Formats: sequence, C-alpha cells, structure tokens
Amino acid sequence: MSSTFTTSGSDKKGCTTTMSIKRLRTVAALSAVVALALSACGGGGGNDNGTAAGGAKNEFNAGLAAVVNPSDKKGGTIKMGHSDTWDSLDPGETYYGYAWNFARLYGRSLLMFKPAPGKAANEVVPDLAEGLGVPTDGGKTWTYKIRKGVKFDDGTEVKAKDVKYAVLRSTDKETFPNGPAYFEAFLNLPAGYKGPYKSKGVNTDSAISTPDDYTIVFHLKNGFGGFDYLAQLPQTMPVPEAKDTGARYRNTIVSSGPYKFANLQPDKSFELVRNDKWDQATDPNRKALPDKYQVSLKVNADDIDNRVISGDLDIDVSGTGVQPASLSKVLTDPALKAQADNASLARLWYTSINPTVPPFNNIECRKAIQYGMNKASYQTAYGGPFSGGDLATTLMPPLVPGYEKFDLYPAGPDSKGDQAKAKEALTACGQPNGFTTNMAYRSDRPREKATAEAFQQALKPIGINLTLKGYPSGDYFSQYAGNPPFVVANKIGLATNGWGADWNDGFGFLSQIVDSRVIRPTGGSSNTSVRIPDVDKMLDAAIAETDTAKREKLWAPIDKRVMEEAVIYPGVYAKSLLLRPKNLSNVFISEAFNMYDYLSLGVK
Amino acid sequence: MRKIEGRSLGQIAWMRLKRDKVAIVGFVVIVLLILMAILAPLIVKAIGHPPNEFNQDLIDTQGGTLAPLGRFGGMSWDHPFGVEPVNGRDLMSRVIYGSRISLLIAFFATLLSVTIGTVMGIVSGFFGGWVDALISRLMDVFLAFPLLVFAIALAGVIPDDAFGLQGDSLRIVLLIFIIGFFNWPYIGRIVRGQTISLREREFVDAARSLGARRPYILFTELLPNLVAPILVYSTLLIPTNILFEAALSFLGVGVRAPTATWGGMLSDAVTFYTMPHFMLWPGLAIFITVLAFNLFGDGLRDALDPRSR
Amino acid sequence: MPDTVITYIIRRLVAAIGLLVIVSAVTFSIFYLVPRWAGATPETLATRYVGRAATEDTVKLTAERLGLYDPIAVQYWNWAKGVVVGAEYDYGAGVERCPAPCLGYSFITKQPVWPELLDRIPVTLSLAAGASVLWLALGVAIGVLSALRRGSIFDRAAMTVALAGVSLPIFFTGLISLAFFSYQLGWTVPGGTFVKITDNPIKWAQALTLPWITLAFLFSAQYARLTRAGMLETMNEDFIRTARAKGLPERTVVVQHGLRGALTPIVTIFGLDVGLLLGGAVLTEKTFSLPGLGKYAVDGIVANDLPKILGVTLVAAVFIVLANLIVDLLYAVVDPRVRAK
Repeated sequence: MSSTFTTSGSDKKGCTTTMSIKRLRTVAALSAVVALALSACGGGGGNDNGTAAGGAKNEFNAGLAAVVNPSDKKGGTIKMGHSDTWDSLDPGETYYGYAWNFARLYGRSLLMFKPAPGKAANEVVPDLAEGLGVPTDGGKTWTYKIRKGVKFDDGTEVKAKDVKYAVLRSTDKETFPNGPAYFEAFLNLPAGYKGPYKSKGVNTDSAISTPDDYTIVFHLKNGFGGFDYLAQLPQTMPVPEAKDTGARYRNTIVSSGPYKFANLQPDKSFELVRNDKWDQATDPNRKALPDKYQVSLKVNADDIDNRVISGDLDIDVSGTGVQPASLSKVLTDPALKAQADNASLARLWYTSINPTVPPFNNIECRKAIQYGMNKASYQTAYGGPFSGGDLATTLMPPLVPGYEKFDLYPAGPDSKGDQAKAKEALTACGQPNGFTTNMAYRSDRPREKATAEAFQQALKPIGINLTLKGYPSGDYFSQYAGNPPFVVANKIGLATNGWGADWNDGFGFLSQIVDSRVIRPTGGSSNTSVRIPDVDKMLDAAIAETDTAKREKLWAPIDKRVMEEAVIYPGVYAKSLLLRPKNLSNVFISEAFNMYDYLSLGVK
Repeated sequence: MRKIEGRSLGQIAWMRLKRDKVAIVGFVVIVLLILMAILAPLIVKAIGHPPNEFNQDLIDTQGGTLAPLGRFGGMSWDHPFGVEPVNGRDLMSRVIYGSRISLLIAFFATLLSVTIGTVMGIVSGFFGGWVDALISRLMDVFLAFPLLVFAIALAGVIPDDAFGLQGDSLRIVLLIFIIGFFNWPYIGRIVRGQTISLREREFVDAARSLGARRPYILFTELLPNLVAPILVYSTLLIPTNILFEAALSFLGVGVRAPTATWGGMLSDAVTFYTMPHFMLWPGLAIFITVLAFNLFGDGLRDALDPRSR
Repeated sequence: MPDTVITYIIRRLVAAIGLLVIVSAVTFSIFYLVPRWAGATPETLATRYVGRAATEDTVKLTAERLGLYDPIAVQYWNWAKGVVVGAEYDYGAGVERCPAPCLGYSFITKQPVWPELLDRIPVTLSLAAGASVLWLALGVAIGVLSALRRGSIFDRAAMTVALAGVSLPIFFTGLISLAFFSYQLGWTVPGGTFVKITDNPIKWAQALTLPWITLAFLFSAQYARLTRAGMLETMNEDFIRTARAKGLPERTVVVQHGLRGALTPIVTIFGLDVGLLLGGAVLTEKTFSLPGLGKYAVDGIVANDLPKILGVTLVAAVFIVLANLIVDLLYAVVDPRVRAK
C-alpha cells in the first residue's frame, strides 16, 4: 500500500526489491552491452582516473567507466535525499547497497572495495587492516593486522577488540534482525552463543581471537576461500563496547572514519561533519573532500528527481534510479540524457516456478512457462531497457565474475516467446489444453504487479490461466510466497522474485537462491522453488575451492543445472538510470555498489 | 391538478421532483451509468479491446520511456481515451469496467449501512432507556474510530482466501462489509432522532392508547414515516461510498489486479504525473458519477422536504 | 451555575476515557485476532520482524520479547500500562525507561513511537489549521451571499461549483493540482518538504499552500451549502422579522441575528471535521506526501508495525473525542437548554 507513489523501495542487498527493468530488442544488442562491460573491465584495471587531468566528458554513460569532473578541491556541502528512511545507520545491521556505500564515510571496516570507476571497484583493498587476510589451515583461519593510530571520534585508538566486539554484537539477530548473517554462519562460535548482550562473559576466542591490540584472527567452522569479502562488510567497522547502546546505537554512532554524525533526527534527516580525530596518514583510500554531508529522509521521490535535475539537491542517495515520470523527461531531453548514467546491477528480477505445485511437478509444464512467456513484456513491465534491465536468460547477471552466457529456452526472434514450443511442452506434460494456477506478487510494487499481469496476458493464448494474488512485501517471504506450506496449500505456481548479490561473486549471488538447504519450513527464504540435490553438492564444492580463478569457473555449471530444471524464469538483469550530480566533482559509478561512489565525491 | 387533497406525500414529492430539471439530469446520468455497468461486456466487445489486454505495440519500448506513442496519451479512433503507459491497456474499456466495481460496492455497502442503521436507530429511539444509552455509546465508539485508517488496516490483513470465497468476489464482499459496516452510525443517528420525534407525536400516542402492541406501532406507524428521510440519506450515502471505495482502491487495498477500478487507475497514474490523460479519465468518471448522485439526492431531499430548499 | 458545568465536564471526560479504552482495545483485538484466524502463530508473526537469516531460536526470542506468546488480555494490559505509567525497554545493551505516555517501540525500527508521533502531530495540525480557517471563511462567506441573493446568478453558480466541489475526491484534485502547479509551473513546492512554522514560517506556508487550497476547496463547498441552507431557514424565522421591524440595519440583522442562528449547526460539524482531519488526513497526506499522522498510520499498516498503528489510532481517537467534547461544551455555554438536561 505504501509505495503507490514511489515505484520502488531501495535496493536491498541480497533481499529483493522493486526496480525497473530494461529491455533490449535483439540478441545482438545484448551482446553489444556485454562487450561494453568487458571493455570497461579492461579499461578500469590499470589506470587511476581519479587524478587524470580532464576526466570524462559530460555525456550519457560518462560516469560508467571514468571519473567525471576530477578535482582535489576541498570544502563545500553535499546534499542528498532519500524517499524512504535509512534502513539502519548501525554498521552492524545495515543491509542495503547504498548504506554500505555511505557507511564508509563514518566507519572503517577491515577491508573495502576500491573506490575506483568501472571494474576496478571489484577489487578488495585494505582499509582498517594493513593488508588482505592471511589464510591458514586451508582457509579455516584468517588473520588481519590492524593499522596503528586510527582513532574514534572521541580520540581513543581503535584496537582489535573493538572490531571483535563489533562483529560479535552483529550476530545478535534478535537485536539486529535485518543485518547480514554470514559471520554467525561461518565463525566457530560457542554452541548457543547469542551475542555479547545475552551471552555476557562467554569466552569467544574459539571464533575470534585478538593475540595483541593490533591483530585479529577469525576462526571458521569450515574452510572458506572468500572470507576477505566478509571482512569488507560494515559489520567489521569497530564499535567501542563502552559506548554501545544496542538497538539504539543507530542514533549514537561513534565514528572511525573522516566524518561523524551531527543533528541526527531519526527518520528525518542527519548530517555528517568532519571528524577531526581522523588522520589522512592512516587512510590511503579516502580523500574526504567536502566539509559536510546533508541527508534528508522521506522526501517525495518525484520531488527528489526534480530537485536533482534543477541542482537544488545533489544526489538521490538510494541509488535506485529515476522515477517513471522522470524517465521520459530524461530520455527525451538530450541535455538531461547527457547528465545521466545507465548503470548495470548484479541483480536479477525473476519468477519462481514452484515444482511443489501441480502440474509444475512435471518439468514439461515448467518448460511451457519458459517458452510461453513474452520476455519482452517482462522487460517493459519492469521499466524498459533503461530503468528496467536487459533480457535475462541465465540466473547470474553478466556483472558477476564467472558469468557464462547461454539460453536454454529461446524466446523467439522478437523475444515474445515461442508459442509452438510452449504448446509442445504442454502436450508432453499431459495438459494439451492448458491449466489454471496462481501467481503471487508483491502488491505494493507496481512493477511486480505489471509483471504478473504480463504473465497472465502472455500465457492466456496457450491455455494457461493465471489468477493473480498480491501480498504485502513485508510478509511476502515469511508468510506467503516464501512459506513452503502456504505455497502448496494455496497453489502458488508462480511467484515474482528478485535477487541481488551482496557482493559481485558467485557465492554471494547464488547461495541464497539455489541452495535447497536455505529453504525453511516456517518460511522466510527467497528460495522457493529450487530443490536440486546436485546443485547443493556443486555449491559445496565451489565454496571449498580456495583458488579464485578455479572457483569462478564452478558457478556457471550450477546456473545451467538450475535452468535445466526450469524452476526459475529469469526476467531481466537489472539496470538503473541515475542522474549524475551537476555540481559535484569526482563522480563515477562504482561497480561494487552499482551507483555513484559516495566516498570520492567533492564539490566543484 | 385541482384535486390536491387526493394526493399522497409520495405523489406530491414526485410532482416536485419532475419539475427539478437538474435532479432529472442527475437521474438520467445515474440510469445511463447503471446501464453502462450492466452492459459493460457488450460495450467493450463492440469497442474491441478487452480491459486487461496488453497493447505494448502502442508503447515506446524502444526509446525506453514506456509512454504511449502518439500525442495525448495515444488517443485515436481505436483508443478514444488513449492507453496506459507501460502495458498499453485501453483506458476507455477500463473506465467502463471500473463502473461495475464502483457501483456494485457502493450500492450494497449503502444497503448494509441503511439496514443496520435503520434497525439500530429505530430500536434505540423507540425503546429509549438503557437500550438507547447502549446503542448511542456504540455509535460514539464507531464515530471515534479513524475510519479510513481502520478500513485500510482491516482490508490489508484479510488473506486472499477466506470465508469460502477468493479473488475478486472475496475482495468485493470484504469492501462492501467494511464500507457498509463502519458507516451505519451516521444513518443510525438520523433515524434515531426521527424516531424520537415521531414517538412523541400524537398519532403514535393515539395508537398506543388504543392498545396497539409495540411491533405493530413500529411497522405500521413509524416505518412509513421514516421512509422519506431514509430514502434521501441513502441516495446521498451512495456517492460517499463511491468515494470511499475509490479511496481504498487508491490506497491499494481494493479489488486485486488486473481488475479495473477507478481508484486503482488513479493510483497507477500517480507515478506518471507527467501524463495527465492517465489520471483524467478515471478522475472524471468518479466526478461525474458522484455528482450525478449528489444532484439527484439533493433534488429528492428538496422534493420530500421543501423547507430545505 | 459553574458547578453544573464542572460536573458536566467531568462526566464527559470520564466517558471520553472509557471511549479511548474501548477504541484501543478493539484495535488491539483486530490486529491480534484477524491474523490468528488466518492461521498465524506467535512464531510466524515474529518472522515478520526478524529479517531473512534468523534461526528458530531468534524467532522464538523475538516472539518472547514482543510478548506474542501472552494471551491477548495480558498483551493489551501491558500496552495500556505503558501508556499510563510508562514502561521499561530492553534495547540489547541495557534497559531504558520509556516514560508515560509510553506507546511502545516500533517492531521494525525499534524507535519509541511517542516521540515519532509528537514529531508528526505538527504536520497534521498545520494542515488542519490552515485548511480549516480557509474553508470556514470561504464557505460561510459564499453561503451567506448565496442565501441573501437566493436565485441569483451568483447563487446558482456558487452552488453548482459547491456541488462539484463535494463530488471531487481529494486524491484527484490533489494530483491534478500537483501535476499542474508544482511540477509543470513550479509555483509551489511539492510535498515531503515540511518545515516547522517555528523554523521558517515562509517555507512552512509554501509547502502547505497547495494541500490547504485543495482541502479547503473540498470542505468549503460543503460549508457553503450548509451555511446557505441554515441562513435560509433562520432568515424566515420570526425574530428576524421582529429585528427588521425594529428598523435595525440589514447588515446587523444578517450578521448578528441571521448568521448566529445559522452558525450553530456549522460549529458542530466544524468541530467534528477538524477532529476527523487531525485523526488522520490519510488521503491528503498521502497525495502530497506530507509526513503527518495519516501517512504514519499507513506506513505502520504496510509494515505490520502494531505499536505504530495502535499509537496513531489512539491519538486520532483522542482528537476526535476532544473535538466532540469542545463542541458539546460550546453548546453548553451557548445554549442553556443543554446544560439543564
């Protein structure tokens, strides 16, 4: 109900949110985009555009691979707007891409994604730590050395115990329900450990030990080659135990970065001002150009667009792209279009086909959906080729390393579906005249509603009649589409869904949506339809692989295996149309966050 | 027209009403709207564009704006009201179909309110004492509820399958219940007031003194005298309920997609405020319908109670 | 007779408190009972508030912390106790005192509800205050003029516009005027940018101009019709004829005698309307994205955030009951007959 006005919420990491979708007309055009992304990859590797003279020209997509308006000028105020509330400013609980991007201004995690344009942003570099993690014991133990002389905004020095405490408190999911849950899954915590508030005084050295003030060692249950990705999570930003206020800490954060909070009014607005205890000498990544950041929350989304266009506001901090009304304005006005970037996201909008609901227990009936759906209308429903995304035929988006292009169910030359093949599949399934089933969608997301309507229209000609069922997004996975008994009892054959990688990596993208072991009988999981024993085994093998290059080769076969079972209908690889801030310097899209890099911005 | 004395109150009212041109116009529009709602499938068949049919070939998908191609929201002979952005559904047939939901829900919700309100009002006014006190307090409670907030909440928590119904039929029944059930105290208060004043009048006293029993008095003496105010307020409650239904649909708790409702269409149009044609047609449909009922209701009131003129 | 007035006020206040208890209890029951009819258990309810990665343990702990295992009467009692005497809240790293009136903590954001409501009341209050002044002045003026020039072109035109006005839904006029005045012409600032009057009166008025006008248009139409009808009735009464016969100037007759009589029902309805509006101008706030009580309620409903919904319902009911009380008191002061009863 709430989002009748703004099309989308924010782009939650991992979790699924409404955004838009873009469509490409031909396969040729699709490969052209892939080629573009690849060249961006080649171009971003070696050069550091940040200091290059001139920088990119102000034109459409200029900010994708290069820095626009490079400058080292200090001072000024950056004004940001958000159409919703911040998910949580607490580094232990925040779980949105924009919030992670922004948190680096007031907190220093052990590692971070490199603040650089294009593909270079996918590189993990040391932040609070002196270097990347040192794995021993087959990836079961990871050691980090912490920089000396890093200070909190109250002047006390950051020690290893502050990082340890920060990670431990974040495992208390009763206090911080919405944060990522990787640490409690991987760390060798004592049985029944419930975080430092509830399990006071419990010795946790089996999970995290701090041999001295500047060394922190993580002990895992099993080997995990990608632990450095966890060390870049905001959950490793230090929290001084003496100043921790639990669920209230989001309003009383102690900063370890170049900025600290001022005038914080929950759900309304806050400011970041310079933290004079921050020392540039300890920090190779941050330039800290502006004097101040002003963030207003709960601003009308269309109003944000208009104010960014006029220059009154610098940036839509949620980074989800312009509203539908601004879409035609921006795309039809050459001057405005030159002021926009069309970013690709490591996010897939898809539809689950539930094999637990007859007749989808028969693979041929699932294939009928794969062939029968009009992929072009999926793209239009999600917002078209610019604010929606590119036509998808795989689970993994091209941005995820290890992505391989394949198409098991070609949708015909104009991407409108292959009705002949769909009818064949229906006959093979024993339902030559079609059947009736239900489709779930999140009723407060206009784009999912349009998608469900598109399915209904596209499948009608082959005799598959859909009844649409809208559910509130707050309960969508816990009570409805992600609740296995509910799905069976209410015959939810199809359900709109979506997933974005927590970081650009096969594990980060696939594990939560194709591993059958994440399905919970009481509901709550995004995976509703994939229960393939093969896939679980393949995932385990890939996770244990510590060689990055070898590991990346293991993801595409998993992707293919899931598509063979036809339990997921891939819709579009998400894209968003972002308005480039007019009055700011050092503007570029970070591929790690798929939006402007908030760490590098300055005022012209 | 000489035999004035031979006419009943109803006949007099009818005479007055006939002379009220504006009210008659309202009445004619109402009849046309009802016909349109009943015949919607036939009309739309004649237009040739089912309300849920996608016409994405009329949408600018290549340029990415997803706006209807052509000027004025894609208006043409084929699509006189234009088409929706994104999926290109025909606006005219959606507006026509929207009338069905609007009128259906408004009529039955009104019926429900009037039934509950009349019974409660009569009981309260006629029996007085603790019955009256109880019912009056109950009305106070209902009137103290933030109605719309409450309706949204209730419509939001009811699952998709309940009470042996599902889909549109469940939503329609639910909306009728919510709108009707929460509106009865308004009519209840009016009926109560009328009943109290009638109770004290001579003819009821007369009946009572003649030994008439209570139910007899209720049905033969009171009810006929309550018909006029109930009729007037029912006519005036219908437009209120149309607006209420539209508001609920606008807030996203009405009938589910893809069924067309006026409020739902307006809600869809919000994100496309740069394309005013999209909000214009459903908005106009609500306006004309509500206005017609208000005009007729006003005329009816004037006819039945000339003092209010 | 101040004694009777005081006992009257006390009696009404007691009744009002009883009313609030009933309203909150009913709201509580509905949000407690309806999901349970639909098959929800304390655990499935708690799943809403624990994020995706929660273990069974976390779900149980959360259900416990939110008190979802308790019987409904106990849950309601705890909530009501918080409102009257305050409560204690465990925020993880310690316990916090939540002073009365403690309306609980949001299930989602864990922020206390009362300060959030306090923050939003000025928005709704500003909206209602500005709009009601406008519509009262406009509506009564048009109504009086129409009544005095009954049958004239002005009367007919005004009444036609008034009828059109009551037939327009606010979310239609609001949207059209937003699209036109704010986005197209840029005359007014679109919503979402509410500024407190104490911070910057000019910006405050700017942000609210369009909602005021839209809302006032809708209501003044109603008031014009009511005033006109009331005026027509009173102007035919004997005391007006007497006043005229005494040779009083027409202006005095109209304003001091005619209008006064016609205003009594207007005051009643005005009180109720303002009360209702304060209780949640849901549609107006939604249409203009004003961060007021109505929008807060809708947000709470969407997120299944029971403490928010309860808080807003209670505050809304308080406004409605207060408005009723004030109207009745005004009556008692103006009209001695009421007092005598």
